[in-house]
Amino acid sequence: MNNLCRLTTAAALLMAVAVFTSPGVSGQAKPSPQAHAAGKPAQTPAKAAPKDWTQAPSSERPFRVRLDFNRWHDVAELQADMKTLEKAYPKFLKYIVLGKSYAGRDIAGIIVNNPDTGPDTAKAAMYIEANIHGNEIQGGEICIYTIWYLMENYGKIDRITKLVDERAFYIVPTVNPDGRDYFMHGPGGNARSGHMPVDDDNDYQFDEDGPEDLNGNGIIEQIRKYVPGQGNYKKSTVDPRVMEPVKPGEVGDYIVLGQEGIDHDGDGRVAEDGPGSYDPNRNFASDWQPNYIQSGAMDYPFQLPEAKAVNDFWMSHPNIAGLQTYHNNGGMILRSPGAETAGEYPASDVRAYDELGRNAVRMLPFYRYLVIWSGLYTVHGGVTDWANDGLGILSFSNELWNNGQYFTSPELKEQQKDPNSPISPRVANYFFNDFLEFGDELTEWKEFDHPQFGKVEIGGAFKKTFGRVPPRFMNEELCHRNMAWTLYQADEMPKVTLGESKVEKLGDGIFKVWLDLSNPKVAPTILAKAAMNNVVPPDLLTVDGKGVEVISASWVADKWRPAVAQSIDQKDLKRIMLRNGLAGRTTRTIQYLVKGTGPLTVKYASLKGGTAEKTIPLQ
Amino acid sequence: MSIPTKRPVGWLRAIAVAALGGWLWPSTAAAVDFSKYHTYQELSAELKALVAANPTIAKIASIGKTREGRDIWAIEIANPAGTPVEQRPALLVAANFEGDHVIGSELALYLVDFLVKGYATDPAVKQRLDNHVVYVVPRVNADGAELMFASVKSGRRTNATPYDADNDGRMDEDGPEDLNKDGFITVMRVKDPKGPFMISPEDPRLMKRADPAKGEPGGWALYWEGLDKDNDGFIAEDGPGGVDINRNFMHQYPYFEPDAGRYMVSEAETRAMLEFVLKHRNIAAILTFGESDNLIVTPTRRGDRAAANPINLLEFANRSLADARRVGLFQDTGGFGGRGGRGGRGGGGGMVIMDEGAFPGGRGGAAAQPTGRAAMPAQRPNTTIATLDYEYFRAISEKYRELTGLRATGITRTPAGAFFEYGYYQFGVPSFSTPGWGLPGGGRPAGMGMGAGAPAGPGGAAAGAALAGAPAGVGQRGGGGARGAMGGAAADAASADAPEGIDLRLIQWMDAEKIDGFVKWTPFKHPTLGEVEIGGFKPYLTTNPPAAKIAELGASHAKFALYLSSLFSKVKIAKAEVTALGAGLFRIKADIENAGFLPTALSQGAQARAVKPVMVQLGVPPDSIVTGNEKTNHIPALAGSGSRQSFEWVIKGTPGSTVTLKAVSQKSGTDTATLTLR
Repeated sequence: MNNLCRLTTAAALLMAVAVFTSPGVSGQAKPSPQAHAAGKPAQTPAKAAPKDWTQAPSSERPFRVRLDFNRWHDVAELQADMKTLEKAYPKFLKYIVLGKSYAGRDIAGIIVNNPDTGPDTAKAAMYIEANIHGNEIQGGEICIYTIWYLMENYGKIDRITKLVDERAFYIVPTVNPDGRDYFMHGPGGNARSGHMPVDDDNDYQFDEDGPEDLNGNGIIEQIRKYVPGQGNYKKSTVDPRVMEPVKPGEVGDYIVLGQEGIDHDGDGRVAEDGPGSYDPNRNFASDWQPNYIQSGAMDYPFQLPEAKAVNDFWMSHPNIAGLQTYHNNGGMILRSPGAETAGEYPASDVRAYDELGRNAVRMLPFYRYLVIWSGLYTVHGGVTDWANDGLGILSFSNELWNNGQYFTSPELKEQQKDPNSPISPRVANYFFNDFLEFGDELTEWKEFDHPQFGKVEIGGAFKKTFGRVPPRFMNEELCHRNMAWTLYQADEMPKVTLGESKVEKLGDGIFKVWLDLSNPKVAPTILAKAAMNNVVPPDLLTVDGKGVEVISASWVADKWRPAVAQSIDQKDLKRIMLRNGLAGRTTRTIQYLVKGTGPLTVKYASLKGGTAEKTIPLQ
Repeated sequence: MSIPTKRPVGWLRAIAVAALGGWLWPSTAAAVDFSKYHTYQELSAELKALVAANPTIAKIASIGKTREGRDIWAIEIANPAGTPVEQRPALLVAANFEGDHVIGSELALYLVDFLVKGYATDPAVKQRLDNHVVYVVPRVNADGAELMFASVKSGRRTNATPYDADNDGRMDEDGPEDLNKDGFITVMRVKDPKGPFMISPEDPRLMKRADPAKGEPGGWALYWEGLDKDNDGFIAEDGPGGVDINRNFMHQYPYFEPDAGRYMVSEAETRAMLEFVLKHRNIAAILTFGESDNLIVTPTRRGDRAAANPINLLEFANRSLADARRVGLFQDTGGFGGRGGRGGRGGGGGMVIMDEGAFPGGRGGAAAQPTGRAAMPAQRPNTTIATLDYEYFRAISEKYRELTGLRATGITRTPAGAFFEYGYYQFGVPSFSTPGWGLPGGGRPAGMGMGAGAPAGPGGAAAGAALAGAPAGVGQRGGGGARGAMGGAAADAASADAPEGIDLRLIQWMDAEKIDGFVKWTPFKHPTLGEVEIGGFKPYLTTNPPAAKIAELGASHAKFALYLSSLFSKVKIAKAEVTALGAGLFRIKADIENAGFLPTALSQGAQARAVKPVMVQLGVPPDSIVTGNEKTNHIPALAGSGSRQSFEWVIKGTPGSTVTLKAVSQKSGTDTATLTLR
């Protein structure tokens, strides 16, 4: 019996290998030593053998798909990971392409949906994207982590199972694939832009003089020239790797000549017209402003193919109720408005944002919940403004990572106040690099013979993977915490239910019906701003019933306090429009006066809050 | 749905036409019939025939397709010999952004005809087409314009994009209906004790808003001719279409109004126009025909346009729709979290830096407390003509009046989101709109346009404004019969500032010209309103002149277009001298001149960074310049009429070698000088 059991386990494990040893999917299980021992003759124990704990299931459940979250991925790798996940979870995942970037790369994403509980478009959906700025990459890893985590834990963690059953997710790890690959493979360590050409230096040529990785180490560094006694920079006495501007009266030994590059276009200037040079997150259609008001806005909203592709996707998925667009860095949970001139959002919307934001900061240490214009800077034509104001989607933008996380404890924070401490703010990064990254994140100054500047030194730069992004070993935590917060937002998307009902017979076939309409979630079914702008169709409360006539419909102000119910002044009371829907965590009671035999079927249909139906017998 | 027009094969067609007509190139096309308005198919055929007959100087291309599949045509007219066409200053003429404004298409067609036929005979035309280029987009909103030729004339201004104008979750379900079967969508007036309108004492055909302060009783309500097909209490509040293309561009875009589209540049027509002009940065002036005006009436010295002149009767009918987008907006019961939210403002301050990376620790205080007012107040875009640009607008509009004889506009509208406004404020060139015709009348002297605050647009604008300030619980008014009879309270308030309607002048002009443009009020039994009267202005006759006027207007506007294209700036290297200084050093002095009338960039064009600076570049290695100017220099704007800017370099060079000096501009041409060092 025992052996049989063992054999069965071994067979199951071998089957698992067979099923999951497809390319890119890691087979988890290896037959255990006990399985091999199964055929040996039984020995009579001299004394009671210690209990073999490996016979019991491990507290850790094996992953079907193994992915790495401690390194950075280029566009092809992100897409490969998504395809791997789709292959492992074909029922739930669908790989989609929203459109092409300017340079022709796919803007790819994943739909997460359980078809057993309905099509994705019939559910409130959470849209998650990242990397609209080319050099703000780690949100891409969060996206992959989110898909992976939802799938690996579906059926294992009840709340994840429920979330996947109730909601749909649209997850797009990079909406600027040109920028991401320019970061990963090219000299784009500091490049926010996409790659539609712009003539930055007004010489009637486009993108002809970008930065150049002259020494071929993958990093665009600074160029300095040694000019003893004539420079305006010196090596710091605290750490010679730090270059300091000289104080008045001091003499320096170095001048800094700018970033690594050569004068491609022979105009005497270096690296003044690189790829693009606009801001992809200023090309959206709410409070869009022309270039002279909002730098980098381009010529008109959705001119950029990437912006158009994601907007077309949003327009065709009006069930999207929540949005997260991951940026870096600084540790912020941002919401719109992006500009003071746009005015604050209506109070009920602010309440929902604040409730979510308050919990966000509890889940994300070192992050602050802020309004974009007042907490960061003015943004015209950004994603979250358009999504909120123009599409009625409750939207956040996380500025991932904060270098306060290098030294986290109160003791270390105290130490950093000492300017002579090896972790004082001026040199903290060097300490971290020396002791935790083994020096790998900083390049050394090396001599270089530059065609324009002659004998110079190039180097002294932290790599692009240091500073704006977390250390690789800390990225899994970043992924998980931000995912958890975004899943919390997804869970708090609106969800309508029909609650308690009460029927009172008034005689002559007339009934008074009370029915509770609820939205227990934080987010309203229609944002007040969206209702003002008329950008989301109204929620509909419809009545169906054999020979049922609705004489009147009214709102009951307070079920427990008698008062005149406020009439709903709409002509068609069998199809009542609620233009501002149901606010978050709200129950309203509607009173119908109906005539007929019933039963009465009431249906509440909300584009972003789902549908609920209740049949009430008239008696 | 695409119109089956045979595509003529260029030279074959030319030969065929030449053979048939027995004429010689270039003037071979049959005369265009300017005594009528052209359907899309007819217009396309005329354009193609004109191009086919003049294949050297005219080209036709589709710059996009409308929703119903019609090509949006652009005609390029230039003699291609010499400077490449895309480097020459260009005039863009575009028409029919508004579906009910079709006269513009005819004026544009006339211009094409005038230019291609005039090339051989008119030296002025030849001069322009040899040195410049003219682009003509005669029918932008081809789907909308086609309704002028429909059996029931609706006067619809919008394109064919389905749009849920009243946002009730149903698309285009309650449009106007020709109830009295006269072929026109007009309006209905109904005796209603709550109605705020009265019959005009000046002309019993017209209606006016009763003024209680003058003891005037109302007694009449006004609606569009139609039914309440969706049973929501509003009549004809959500008809077929669409988006008004001249409200879909970015300058002063009327956000979230029903005819402005879901967002800026949401429409194929809008995008086609923008893509076209952005690909043709050589466009140096824009003339549009449309329902706004800055030519017949000169903008004020402060740079404001004249106020719009709407038709009261239609404005009143629109107001009956004002509440349709507010029904069902219920008072917020509070939900969670109690009253009030935290505002978006707080104390503190900070710099404005364009990169989050600059905030390694984030900024500000506790969660949910926005921490600071941006130190740099948000800039706002310009909305009046720049002082430095004003004189050009004044001079050009004066010339317009002289050439066309037009002194007073007919109906005009506030150009929020209009293409020509984009042309000046964002594309940065002199940009004009004219209805292309006018009413008789003295008009106002130049510069005296009654400027100031542009009034809210019709219908939707009032609704939008009303909604923003709507108190809680709107839509709770008691009501019977048709809703909206009173118009929304906010809509009423808005009307206090509304301009005087143009109804009386319009009807007097129609009477004088014997234009049958007004449907007499006749009784009709309406299914829900009961006894009503149907009547009012006939669509299209208020926005377009009689076809008999086309030829005359076409000729004068062609002359104006010719004049406009004579004003372009022209960059020249006026002087370039080399002096040998010895030791292999040479001094080079150069003057760059703008020999045209317009500046190389208007003030707005330079400020908006829409017009590139003129680049003056000396073709030498940067390190050979010993002193003087940079190798590459930029002039943001150089005034016209012979203004000059001087440059000087001392370079090290080989005696006898040559150096190239270039002056490159976006809209003023390019000039090159080859200098020998000696």
